Amino acid sequence: MTAELYVFAAAAVFGIGVHGLLIARHLMRKLLAVNLMLSAVFLLLLLFSTPIGGKPDPIPQALVLTGIVIAVSSTAFALALMVRLFRLSGRATLPRFEPDDD
Amino acid sequence: MIDVFALVLLIGGCGFMFAGTVGLLRLPDVYCRLHAQTKADNLGLLLICAALALLSESLLAASLLLLIWLLGLVASTVSAHLIARHARAAERVDRGKGR
Amino acid sequence: MIGTLAVDLLLVSILIGLAWQVVRGRVLFRAIVFFVAFGLIMAMIWGRLGVPDLALAEAAIGAGLTGALMLGAFRRLVEIDARQAVSGGLRPSPRLSLLLSLLAGLLVAVLGLAGLELRGGSGEAGRAALDSLHLTGLGNPVSAVLLLFRGLDTVFEMLVLLGAFLGARHVAERDRRSGAAIASHRLPMVGALQMTVVPLALVVALHLLRAGANDPGGAFQAGAVLAAGGVLLTLTGRVVPQAQAGLLTRFSLIFGTLMLAGSGIVPLIYGGVLMAPPGKTAIYAIEAAMMVSIGVTLSLLFSASAGLRAVRS
Repeated sequence: MTAELYVFAAAAVFGIGVHGLLIARHLMRKLLAVNLMLSAVFLLLLLFSTPIGGKPDPIPQALVLTGIVIAVSSTAFALALMVRLFRLSGRATLPRFEPDDD
Repeated sequence: MIDVFALVLLIGGCGFMFAGTVGLLRLPDVYCRLHAQTKADNLGLLLICAALALLSESLLAASLLLLIWLLGLVASTVSAHLIARHARAAERVDRGKGR
Repeated sequence: MIGTLAVDLLLVSILIGLAWQVVRGRVLFRAIVFFVAFGLIMAMIWGRLGVPDLALAEAAIGAGLTGALMLGAFRRLVEIDARQAVSGGLRPSPRLSLLLSLLAGLLVAVLGLAGLELRGGSGEAGRAALDSLHLTGLGNPVSAVLLLFRGLDTVFEMLVLLGAFLGARHVAERDRRSGAAIASHRLPMVGALQMTVVPLALVVALHLLRAGANDPGGAFQAGAVLAAGGVLLTLTGRVVPQAQAGLLTRFSLIFGTLMLAGSGIVPLIYGGVLMAPPGKTAIYAIEAAMMVSIGVTLSLLFSASAGLRAVRS
């Protein structure tokens, strides 16, 4: 029962993250949405594990821990890119797609 | 017996936390909100930590909970001070511009 | 039964509510703050699911350091151009976006429920890890998996962290301002805070490092707490960003990776197997090196500089 509930939570958070990624113009909002999606995936990854003799399975825990560190690494790099883009172009949004330029 | 006492402390702590949050949402000014937030939350945290310390099995866990409360106290105090300073400075700037 | 269900329902509803606020909040600053709160609720969920190592890591790294990094970047944006920093806002929701997000959520739900069905079958890797745990001398299976059984993954993880630092440093421009401090440590309360919390962070980090052998903890959590101390020092102006990294900084950045990779390669010289598990003191040494590297890398990522220099007050 609890596992299904958390699967639903992970699905909802992932969906909200996708929504945020698509409708946000500001790059930092997109980054926040991507982090939400990452958290949902980690939750799902852990929910798939079965307890072994009463103890939780250590392999998915190690994988998710690795994932958290990689998430913060990529977030830090993305933030540095965003600040640089803002300095150079004056806006923290991606340029609009103009169908006329080729 | 201890369980009942701890339960009472826990409910009291949650009540104070709730009061702090209501104050944060409903009070008009930055300074009023800081009052509600820090005072009520510190007391709420104290009651919750006391309840958990009563329920914990070892003296080590209880002293760790005391340390947690002290850290929470320090953090919220300094944060409130800095926020109030910043708000005062912003106010002075606005008044200086003749608003 | 009702009790745990109520706790789970509360956690799940708060989690989803916070996620919604992150995505739909009008003010960007509030979205970042809600994200930090989201991270803390995730830490509680990890605790509820019985994985305290992940709870520690999520609270320290996922909520704390990610929040600090985002707020630091937001502050840089505001300092460059306050009005443009928050512009952009939200597009009015096209129906396509809602449809896609619903489909994505449904995909995750279906995958999740299918995965739950398949539980109970495998787990052989985990079982093998738990069975050989007594051979490693460690009591914490997650630490054993991270350092020994899947040590190669951890080497790559440290390389990713280093790569992110190198990339961020290459991209960042040097600031005209002298430092990143926002509340000088000469202010009465801030000075006291920094003088009590930073040494405490060091003690907590060392405790997490040592406890990680048998209890929840480990090098990553300890490194994150060290980085929190570094963030506090940067914010109070006790250390100042530097454009060039000193030799000590450069060494400490790669120290952890070198120790971990070295512990895998060195046995080859003595005729052993690649990545053979070392003894317990070697494990402590490797973890300590990793803690230093992680703490230094994350602190430098926060200050967006190549090095940090202590300031005499």
